[in-house]
Amino acid sequence: MIKSFFEPLRIINRKAMLALIIVEVVIALAAWQLSGGGLIPTPLKVLQTLGKMVQEPSFIDNLFSSVVLTIKGMFISIIIALVISYLSIIPFFNPIARFVIKCRYLTLTGLIFLFTLLTQNGHELKLSLLIFGIVPFFVTSLLSVIDEINKQEFELCTTLRMNSWKTLWEVVVIGRLDQVFEVMRQNFAIAWLMITTVEGLSMSEGGLGVMLIRANKYVQLDVVFSTLVVIFLLGIFFDFILGKFREWLFPYTKLSTRN
Amino acid sequence: MNANVYTKTGPLVCAENVSLQYGTKTILRDINFCIHDIHRPNMEQGQVVSLIGRSGIGKTQLFKVLSGLIQPTQGVVKIDTDQHPVRAGEVGIVPQNYILFNHRTIYHNLKIGLDNAAVKLTDAEKKSIITDYAETFQLTEHLQKYPAQLSGGQRQRVSIIQQVLTGNKFILLDEPFSGLDVLMIDRVIQLLVKVSTLQEQNTLIIVSHDIENAAAISDTVWVLGCEDGKEGATIKHEYDLCAMGYAWQPEVRKEPGFQDLIANIKSLL
Repeated sequence: MIKSFFEPLRIINRKAMLALIIVEVVIALAAWQLSGGGLIPTPLKVLQTLGKMVQEPSFIDNLFSSVVLTIKGMFISIIIALVISYLSIIPFFNPIARFVIKCRYLTLTGLIFLFTLLTQNGHELKLSLLIFGIVPFFVTSLLSVIDEINKQEFELCTTLRMNSWKTLWEVVVIGRLDQVFEVMRQNFAIAWLMITTVEGLSMSEGGLGVMLIRANKYVQLDVVFSTLVVIFLLGIFFDFILGKFREWLFPYTKLSTRN
Repeated sequence: MNANVYTKTGPLVCAENVSLQYGTKTILRDINFCIHDIHRPNMEQGQVVSLIGRSGIGKTQLFKVLSGLIQPTQGVVKIDTDQHPVRAGEVGIVPQNYILFNHRTIYHNLKIGLDNAAVKLTDAEKKSIITDYAETFQLTEHLQKYPAQLSGGQRQRVSIIQQVLTGNKFILLDEPFSGLDVLMIDRVIQLLVKVSTLQEQNTLIIVSHDIENAAAISDTVWVLGCEDGKEGATIKHEYDLCAMGYAWQPEVRKEPGFQDLIANIKSLL
């Protein structure tokens, strides 16, 4: 049994995998507890701080602020990214989509001043930077989904006498909606990562990013670690929820092809 | 039914001097053929033509030319009784991997065929037609399933019926016997015979490596190959199985000359 855990390409059952995960987590926490205690807080200390932190009245406000900003940013970003990606099929718009992809290499820091001039307040600034940061990643993933469509699907539409707009709708829009959802799920992690960065630009609204910056400033590493635990767990929770939503909305994605 | 009593009338699918080149490379050269409407007394007799050729010879490219998906460099493909140049969408294709819309149930995959048919029907009429076809082709219990839940043979049936429901009289099938066991091949043969006899002008063009099974259900066999010293594949030989007495005979494999015919086709490849 234990030998199989170290065998390449060995497929182990769900129960065994769960047991393996639990054991590895326990070992990691034990190693952390035993090696910590100096500058780095131990898991026990982090847990205690976390307990205190969640009871503070400002915590819920900060958490709510981050979650709302992320969801708002994600929603607007996916709409913009979908429009750009779907339009990329029309030759005129394709260069625009290709350019947006390359914007991944633009750094947000260099654009803060420009966005500050263009926006009305701190909230708008954070939202704009978040959207500008996420959209190129969304478009990259969405264009890759479109590029991977089997050419035979388009030929099928032609033989079924669909015009090019109907084909676009059936194959690219409806036919890939499940993958759009998957792209959204995968890129949520990027949005969640960026949120803490952009929150530092306008601290008046609070947020988990603001909590991190303040705790770092006063070298409260137990608070930093506790906040990171919250961010980490929330990220995993959203990933799980979006995965479940995908299965519920698109039941065919769970089906494996029979031969 | 006497297989010897038949007549051939007007042309349904014709290729005139079709050539296809990619850059300087000639893929297809001087393809000429004509599929005529075959009539047999007291029945709707469609046409079944097999296209036999070695791998990589250009069968798929010929397929695409015949369906109007790509334009030949030279020549023209004409279809139907009025012999107009083929346009994309007028000829159905059933690819080897039976492409369907994976996000739609089998019912909706079939309905898409009817939605885009020339004849406009109400939803109730569409449902009735789909139910009828599903029953005829043993798909009733699968109508609410997704393509991923079906076996290869079942997907193939859906794929063929989808094309029939669109109203495509001319259907090209790429390797319909590939990867199927002996029993499944028999069922596919029955299915193709059934589709070919649904309507007088239904015309199936089958591309296959399986010479024996393809020839067993065909009225014509074309051998696609290259001629010595010439670049590009062409139809090297056409076998008129109606004239030879091998068409429409369920037990044709037991005919004394049939195996010789298969050997003869093989020798040409």
